[in-house]
Amino acid sequence: MMGNLVQKASGWLVNVAIAMTALRTNLMRSILTTLGVMIGVFAVTLAVAVGSGAQVSVMQSINALGSNMALVFPQPDTGEGGRRSFDRGRLTMRDARAIEKQISGIDDIAPQLRTNIQLVVAGRNASTNAVGTTPGYGKVSNVVAESGRFISEADVRSAARVVVLGPSVARKLFGDYDPVGETVRINRAPFNVIGVLESKGSSFGNDNDDIAIMPITTTRQRFSGDTLSGPDDLQMLFVGFEDGVSLPTAKREITKLLRERYRVRGKDINPFTIRTTEEFMKESAQVTGIFQIVLVAIASISLLVGGIGIMNIMLVSVTERTREIGLRMALGAKRSDIRNQFLVEAAVLCVIGGAMGLILAIAGGTALTVYADFPVPIGVGVGIGAIIFSAFIGLLFGGYPAVRASRLSPIEALRSE
Amino acid sequence: MALVETQDLVKNYELGGETVRAVDGVSLSIDRGEYVAIMGASGSGKSTFMNMIGCLDIPTSGEVRIDDIATGDRDGDALAELRNQKIGFVFQQFNLLARTTALDNVAVPLIYAGLGGDERRAKAKAKLEEMGLGDRLDHSPAKLSGGQQQRVAIARALVTDPVILLADEPTGALDSKTSEDIMQIFQTLNDQGITIIVVTHEAEIADHAKRRIEFRDGKVIEDIMTKKRRKAGA
Repeated sequence: MMGNLVQKASGWLVNVAIAMTALRTNLMRSILTTLGVMIGVFAVTLAVAVGSGAQVSVMQSINALGSNMALVFPQPDTGEGGRRSFDRGRLTMRDARAIEKQISGIDDIAPQLRTNIQLVVAGRNASTNAVGTTPGYGKVSNVVAESGRFISEADVRSAARVVVLGPSVARKLFGDYDPVGETVRINRAPFNVIGVLESKGSSFGNDNDDIAIMPITTTRQRFSGDTLSGPDDLQMLFVGFEDGVSLPTAKREITKLLRERYRVRGKDINPFTIRTTEEFMKESAQVTGIFQIVLVAIASISLLVGGIGIMNIMLVSVTERTREIGLRMALGAKRSDIRNQFLVEAAVLCVIGGAMGLILAIAGGTALTVYADFPVPIGVGVGIGAIIFSAFIGLLFGGYPAVRASRLSPIEALRSE
Repeated sequence: MALVETQDLVKNYELGGETVRAVDGVSLSIDRGEYVAIMGASGSGKSTFMNMIGCLDIPTSGEVRIDDIATGDRDGDALAELRNQKIGFVFQQFNLLARTTALDNVAVPLIYAGLGGDERRAKAKAKLEEMGLGDRLDHSPAKLSGGQQQRVAIARALVTDPVILLADEPTGALDSKTSEDIMQIFQTLNDQGITIIVVTHEAEIADHAKRRIEFRDGKVIEDIMTKKRRKAGA
């Protein structure tokens, strides 16, 4: 039994040795054929990695938003159709307070007004997105001040001219110097810098640190006006929930509450839109999944072309060596021996090409990560998968030529020139 | 006891819509230890006959028995096994694998016999030494003379210890001096008890054999014991 296994293994080793000799004999041809598989495996491996990188990036940016929350916008929700009862969206500070009071499981809420601002200090300036909000924003969005402090209830009550800077904005204006206590001018008015946020990095090339936070009352007094019709209107409301709260249920409850407040009946559409982070996750997973499938499909075409190259060369090889095949048969080679010899030859070509393609993909992925700030994870699994897959390509496309070789009649093969 | 036995052996070929009968009902038997020359002009059917008793070609009808084994009901793989164990082939053009050492060439049949690497090398080396090529083990065919190449081929034919050596025009590509050397080797092998069947159209080569079978138009027209047998080297 053991002896039989050893014999089998040594039989395969002989085939590898025969394959290596044959491939060396036509070195240039072997290299060019290998190149086709190399490019194919490179493309597919990188496509898989870029796809999963995109997935990671999207999940990161959703997590940066805050993990368990509902977002409410004053936008008529035309999603499900129905009669339009409002010309424009509705969402007010009073709605926010009602939600906070009546919906269970809420951790904190963050009503928001957003606007673009220009910050100037000592001749340096930066433009960024200002979020006018309440202290709840810190908790809901997972942001904390790294130095100084976050905005407080008192700041909101008094509409204080205070600002918390994102690290990118702070660096642009003050370099490495800690700006807490300094004064910046925002649209000509002096603001006190009370804190700098902890970095949240960037996701998908989007800088999460390019932001400034101030009391919502301050934003309303100084920067809003033309876009909002009522003095109590909000642009956005984050509702953060405690762990374990069902977001679909919470969404239904908020919808019910707001519909009652705006007296929306039957099939009339809501003047507001509610989205949850859970929905974002699901949708993004779907989108990145499709993205990945498309990428891999395109890359697979090059692998297919590489495989056809293998088949072509193996057919040439079988034709050229018909006499050798005849001789081997005369000397006692069975059909399976001849078939295996050519299968191994194709597999060796493909595995060498696959290994080179994998190395190239690792290099390409590293370059993308370093220079384009895009995570391209090529794990051990992908690597092993690529090698096994290229061996499979060899067996698939080498199969026909190998079987054809094994079906030759010994005497006709031996007589061929 | 007959080692090779044929019964009404027929081989037809389709050529341009016409059926050509290459071998036409040949029945003969060759005993263990014989040294037979098969002669005839080209197209006489001698090579086709040879290929059929070598189990390389399938008869249209009739039967071939090798060492008392019927070959007709054996499939391709079983015939391959039979060739590997019972028959050694020597070809006119040597048919050595290029860019492969003499040692590896001789070891090829042992791969298909299922032997391990060390055993293959040891047996191949011993056979090459018997053929006086102990100092040429690592030479590729391109670095060997015609005579040396044919001796490598003979070593390869004998490495599985077959009962029959089939040689198809073994000296056809060699000069007369080298041919004489090869005949000397055949003589020695036959003296050791190996059955030898040589296909040739050269009378001088046929004169070395003990028995002479002549083919014409697919039929045996003469089957005689050689009267004035040439002893190689004598």
